[in-house]
Amino acid sequence: MSDVPAIETNRLSKFYGRVGAVRGLTLSVGHNRLTGFLGRNGAGKSTTIKMLLGMVRPTSGEGTVLGKRIDDPAESVELRRDVAYLSEDKRLYGYMTVEQTIRFTASFYRDWRKEKADSLLRKFELPPGRKVKLLSKGMRTKLALLLALSRQPSLLILDEPSEGLDPIGVEQLLECLVAQSSEGTSVFFSSHQIEEVERIADQVCIVDQGRLLLDLSMDEIRESYRQIDLVFPFEPRQLEFDLPGVVNVRTKGYQMRVFSSGNTDEIIERARTHQATSVEVAPVGLRDVFLGTVRDGSNALV
Amino acid sequence: MLWYKAWMETRARFLFSLCGMVALPSYYVYHEAQGVEKFARLDWYYHSLHTGHGLIAAMWVAAVIFLMMGGLLREKAVGASSFTLALPVTRTSLMRVRILCGVCQAMALAVVPWMAMFLVSRATGMATSIYQAVFHVVLLAGGGLVFLALALLVSSVVEGEYTAPAVSFGIVFVDAIMLDTRGFGAFSPWGFIVGSEYFDRKTQLLLGSIPWVHLTVSILLAALLSGIAIKAVQRQEF
Amino acid sequence: MIFSKLAITSGEPLYLQLMQRIRHAAESGALQDGDQLPSIRALAEELVVSPNTVVKAYSELEHEGLIELRQGSGAFVTLSRRARSFLDRVERARERMAGFVSELREEGLRDDEIRRVFEAELLRAAAPVRTR
Repeated sequence: MSDVPAIETNRLSKFYGRVGAVRGLTLSVGHNRLTGFLGRNGAGKSTTIKMLLGMVRPTSGEGTVLGKRIDDPAESVELRRDVAYLSEDKRLYGYMTVEQTIRFTASFYRDWRKEKADSLLRKFELPPGRKVKLLSKGMRTKLALLLALSRQPSLLILDEPSEGLDPIGVEQLLECLVAQSSEGTSVFFSSHQIEEVERIADQVCIVDQGRLLLDLSMDEIRESYRQIDLVFPFEPRQLEFDLPGVVNVRTKGYQMRVFSSGNTDEIIERARTHQATSVEVAPVGLRDVFLGTVRDGSNALV
Repeated sequence: MLWYKAWMETRARFLFSLCGMVALPSYYVYHEAQGVEKFARLDWYYHSLHTGHGLIAAMWVAAVIFLMMGGLLREKAVGASSFTLALPVTRTSLMRVRILCGVCQAMALAVVPWMAMFLVSRATGMATSIYQAVFHVVLLAGGGLVFLALALLVSSVVEGEYTAPAVSFGIVFVDAIMLDTRGFGAFSPWGFIVGSEYFDRKTQLLLGSIPWVHLTVSILLAALLSGIAIKAVQRQEF
Repeated sequence: MIFSKLAITSGEPLYLQLMQRIRHAAESGALQDGDQLPSIRALAEELVVSPNTVVKAYSELEHEGLIELRQGSGAFVTLSRRARSFLDRVERARERMAGFVSELREEGLRDDEIRRVFEAELLRAAAPVRTR
């Protein structure tokens, strides 16, 4: 594994006037992994990606992609040679046909793979002679995907890739991402479709209001995050459960639900010393982690 | 393949303009030539050539504005700018190709229609001097670059799919109206390309030698406007 | 070799689930000594999970001695002595489990209650995972 992270940012910020789209984002995305970038609409995901690719200038902070600085125009062109990108817009040139678009795109990249492009063209059932402006949204998305995947890039960045795809299309997309990853491409994709991220991501970064809230591996979430449902013979006090590892606590009558990121034993021990009559531990899915983290915004990483 | 893209983007507009600009003025001149028999006054015919040139010039400016419609800002309105900007090319080279493609097309649009008109005049037996033809073409091609650069600059700062050409037309319209304003005539680009300063009402011909100084100034102005356009695009956020 | 889909939301990392599936296949005889496992890419695509999951599962199984990763060829099942003893332990554990489960049933617990108690206990005391 290479020591240089695929993407690295240091206090990256973008302010539009007083409005902070991205605020002090410090991120490190590893090589040879599938990293999911989760967040609500307007959390700053697209703006971050645009800064990484030189489309938007950061207000402050810095970043590198594949070791090259994002704010230097010459290095930005360099890094784009090894990065494949699927934008949120997924719009291409209406005046070109599918075939012309593919030929056009292929001319810019030394790592273009024609056999892969041909097979994806068949798999996605795209009509080569049709003008792009006459394609449906789903077909346009697939074409944009084909252009990003018919290469052997070091890094693949996708912004909401499954938008506009039907369930079969989504399945094909996930298979393609997994295949690309197994060929050594680092994949960084933003999404607000939690199930997709949960299935294929190795690492998940959760952002909200321009800040990074969480940066975890999916294995860690599956292994350590727990939902502990407790019942007491009296109305319990939340303060008693302010233990390390507790993300948040909710009480309702005699019941208490603890959402923890680890340290389950100590929490259960505490529950027993407080005479809990029922202790049930359940695993927690990425959706619960996301909702729990984003709602309780005080968990921002420094 | 940036040239391919620039060509594909403007191909329809260019060919449409070329056909229109070859057909209309040539037909007009041909039609006028039929009437010369009746009046037997050559200057009447030369007047029609001058009018033909006016037609070509007006269509040329319109065509150039339409050809310069495009670029990253227009793609932004449509949603394709992310795709272009992700390509491993600098914004400068994108602009460069767009400008050069536009200049080549503009030159073709200045020369070909006049050649057609010239051939028609020969065919109808009206002897127009080559010098007159060249004078007109040089005025249009050299002096008109300012309009090209203007359309380029407007398309680089005004957002929206059709707003930029609308603004360009507005500016040209103002220039054309102010042509008759005293003192402005000498500086008006539109006045320059139709040759109002060199036009002699008696002979209906352009007099004097080709005004190289004015042409150079015009071209430099066009270069300046283009430079500003490139800078604007470099600083733009998408 | 067909593996069933992994449980995405469960208290267990995917690579551990995959390891269990492969071990089960070896125990039950679906995978014989010398059989080749799917390539990392093929298995990842089939299950639609990250290839790193497959990589981790294969390398842990290699460490346990159940499979062998041959450079350039792929992953092969090798029921080494260490693996065989491991499989024996699993077999004995299953026998003990069968006894315990029938005890609990005799005490009147329903199957789903037994399952809940069992899973909760496992989740609570999740063993620390050995990482590379």
